[in-house]
Amino acid sequence: MQLHGAKRRKIRIGGLYAVLGAAVLGILIWRQSFPSLPLWLAFAAAFAFLEWRSVEVNDRLLMSPTVMVALTAAVAFGPDKAALGVAAMAALGAGSADDFRQRRWFQPIANLGQMVVTAGISVYILEWFLKRAYPNGVEGAIPDTFWLWIAGGSAIAATVYGLINYTFVTVAVRAVFEKRDLRPWSNLGQLLPSYLLMGFVGGLLGATYTILPVVLPLVFVMFMVGYLSFASYGQLREAHEATLRGFIKALEAKDLYTRGHTERVAYFAQLVGEEVGFNGTRLERLRWAALIHDVGKLAVPRDLIRKKGKLTEDEYEELQLHAHVVEEILAEVEFLRPMVEIASSHHSHFDGGGYGGVGHTRGEQPSQEACILAVADAFDAMTSTRSYRMALSQDYAFSELRRHAGSQFDPGVVEALARALARSTERYGSPHLASEEEARRLAEGTQVASHG
Amino acid sequence: MGDPRVSVRSPLVPVVWALGSATLAYLLMRETNISVIQVGIWAILLAEASLVSLPASSGNRLSLAIAVSAVLPFVLISNGSIDLAAAGAASAMGLLGTWMFRTLRSDPAEEVMAAVLRHGFGVAAYLVVFAGSVSLAENVPVLAGTDWVRLIAFSIAASLWFLIETSLWASMVFGRNRLSRRYLWLLAVKDWPVVLSLLTTGALFGFAWGQPEDPVRLGFWAIVIAGIPYGFAHLAFYRSQESRRTYGQTIRALSRIPEVAGLSPKGHSDRTSGMAIEVGQDLGMTPDEVTDLQYSALMHDIGRITLNEPSILKMGFTDEDIARWGAEIVAEAPYLSHVALLVRQQHQPYRRPGEERDLELPMASKIIKATSAYDHATMELGFSPLEALEVLHRGAAYDFDPDVVQAVRRVLERRKVVPA
Repeated sequence: MQLHGAKRRKIRIGGLYAVLGAAVLGILIWRQSFPSLPLWLAFAAAFAFLEWRSVEVNDRLLMSPTVMVALTAAVAFGPDKAALGVAAMAALGAGSADDFRQRRWFQPIANLGQMVVTAGISVYILEWFLKRAYPNGVEGAIPDTFWLWIAGGSAIAATVYGLINYTFVTVAVRAVFEKRDLRPWSNLGQLLPSYLLMGFVGGLLGATYTILPVVLPLVFVMFMVGYLSFASYGQLREAHEATLRGFIKALEAKDLYTRGHTERVAYFAQLVGEEVGFNGTRLERLRWAALIHDVGKLAVPRDLIRKKGKLTEDEYEELQLHAHVVEEILAEVEFLRPMVEIASSHHSHFDGGGYGGVGHTRGEQPSQEACILAVADAFDAMTSTRSYRMALSQDYAFSELRRHAGSQFDPGVVEALARALARSTERYGSPHLASEEEARRLAEGTQVASHG
Repeated sequence: MGDPRVSVRSPLVPVVWALGSATLAYLLMRETNISVIQVGIWAILLAEASLVSLPASSGNRLSLAIAVSAVLPFVLISNGSIDLAAAGAASAMGLLGTWMFRTLRSDPAEEVMAAVLRHGFGVAAYLVVFAGSVSLAENVPVLAGTDWVRLIAFSIAASLWFLIETSLWASMVFGRNRLSRRYLWLLAVKDWPVVLSLLTTGALFGFAWGQPEDPVRLGFWAIVIAGIPYGFAHLAFYRSQESRRTYGQTIRALSRIPEVAGLSPKGHSDRTSGMAIEVGQDLGMTPDEVTDLQYSALMHDIGRITLNEPSILKMGFTDEDIARWGAEIVAEAPYLSHVALLVRQQHQPYRRPGEERDLELPMASKIIKATSAYDHATMELGFSPLEALEVLHRGAAYDFDPDVVQAVRRVLERRKVVPA
């Protein structure tokens, strides 16, 4: 895991981490001897390769199977050499070619410091287990259970590695990007099991190397497979994002007005989602559903779009029919299905009435996500300027939302949006326009002399 | 892709094969002094493992049986010689079990037969070459008695196995579009990461299992060593399959939107891409190039979504605009940036008056231009295939590359819609 991007208070954090790293490296150089150079070079190359190709697992947090490489290397180097060898490897993996090209100094320095400390401490813990594994020394007779000590110790060391690394990264990110809340400890729950597993595997591979040095090439193949496994995670994530971006781009290409609207609705939906306690996948899904909520428009026939004035009942039916067709096409993309269901039921009412989409049957209360999307959509519709009327004020929008709360809108969601906006002190809509009629008249260009 | 079918139609073939391998297993068992139970355990493991498989990018499914077979020489080695009879008996029995298990699971009979035959030939070569390399390496003074003997023998034998498997796959699949052997072989070779992971899983297990003379052996505990890396591979390949599927589904969904909006004829992109694939394969494109061609053909009209925008309708538009808007939409996916380039250039003539032919123009773009025009002529203008082909021929001066037009003709002849 590495730090990514930087703004302020870098010098203090960078300096602190660098000093800590130098101190740990100094102690290790004083206490330990360096492992065999060819072996070290082989592992260091694998470590640097994988570290430079980390995969984004979460917003701005990068991960790679390097911990597995580090622990295999530690076991292979053997006690009294491992901590120094791995710390030196970690130092090598800190900076990437990109950093040098873009002349970034903070990330390489902070990473160098934190990775040396992380590697040094966790491998030192592993060494305790290594000494239990070889009671007669590395050269002496090795008991049959040695690999259990090694794999177990390595799993523990990897967990410690994960914890320390995470703490360092979180502290740095918090300090540098003050406002960003990474919700780190909720992510840690997902990350630690994979550290544990990678440590266990790394230890096992190292143990196999200890008794049979000839497996080294196979061990490196396994590193590659581990890398593929992480890379595939990134690929899948990217496939999903690219898919959504493709549809959103198509939507924007069709209708420029949609762009701002879609983004604002996604923003409001996210605000409400966070307010009512969504996180992780659920929050992301809500945001994505908001981004595609208007996708039905993609297939609206030309003559309907070109039509001026109000649509007839039949034309409105046809419009909905086309929206349905697109939603059904989208639902064929498996991972989009839950989002399409949210998006397509955002016209249904809280009390079960209204127009229902793919994921909604009349008379049933729509999902909470659909209710959030409905409120976000309505709020933005009122507070932004449309072709037929000017933007209304935020207070007017809330009074309208509250008037229909319980029937059309979920009251809890309306209040959550009000709370979130009050806290963020952001204001939307025009500062004073407070009636639908006035806004329409203004848009038509007929100035009104007086109003009451 | 995929859909491997062997041209074994006669019901006699499986019967002959089953009797043959049972006899072979019996004969081999008489040659070895390893117990039937031990051989039986490996045979059952092999058969069971054949039910677990990793999805490969060719659409072929490669089973864990490869890993189990790779283990055999490692567990049957002692004092530098491999008990080939026992390994052969275990493989023959295991493949018989594979055939039974997979038939019971009601996998398509032809597919099972093909997989079993491929595996049989591959593993036979692997075992013989492994044993041969071990005895050769034992005669090299530097290597004799070291663990390197097994690693070298494994590397040679495994590479040969991979070559045999892929070549057999390429020759057994009978192409729906008369795909060339080379094309199919390239398709199979693309699966190397999966095969490599399976073989390495097997070899790691084999080394950790150890041979009788080793001071420390893990025995069956070696499953843990081999199993977890296998787990990584499993995750990796299933997730890649999922992302490939997501792209495929997305591209199909996107390609249908202009059609349901009434902006381009129904089924146009599907028909164009179907024909483009055949033309691309006829022109000797590699599997990767054909995939890009398929995607760009499906999305060549995506730019028409933009036609809904009233201001654009007022201004008017050209094919160039459609291509540009389409490319902009496709380019949103970084993975598809080269596809975007193909979509961008789909309308360009291969040659302009008074100029040499444009060598920079990608083949895929030229194919889309021709196949899309063919579909337009036959479906929209009501031309017969022969008349449509005539349109392409007449455009061969500037618009359509004559090589592509010739390939279209060959495809149509093969489809039997124009006389040969």
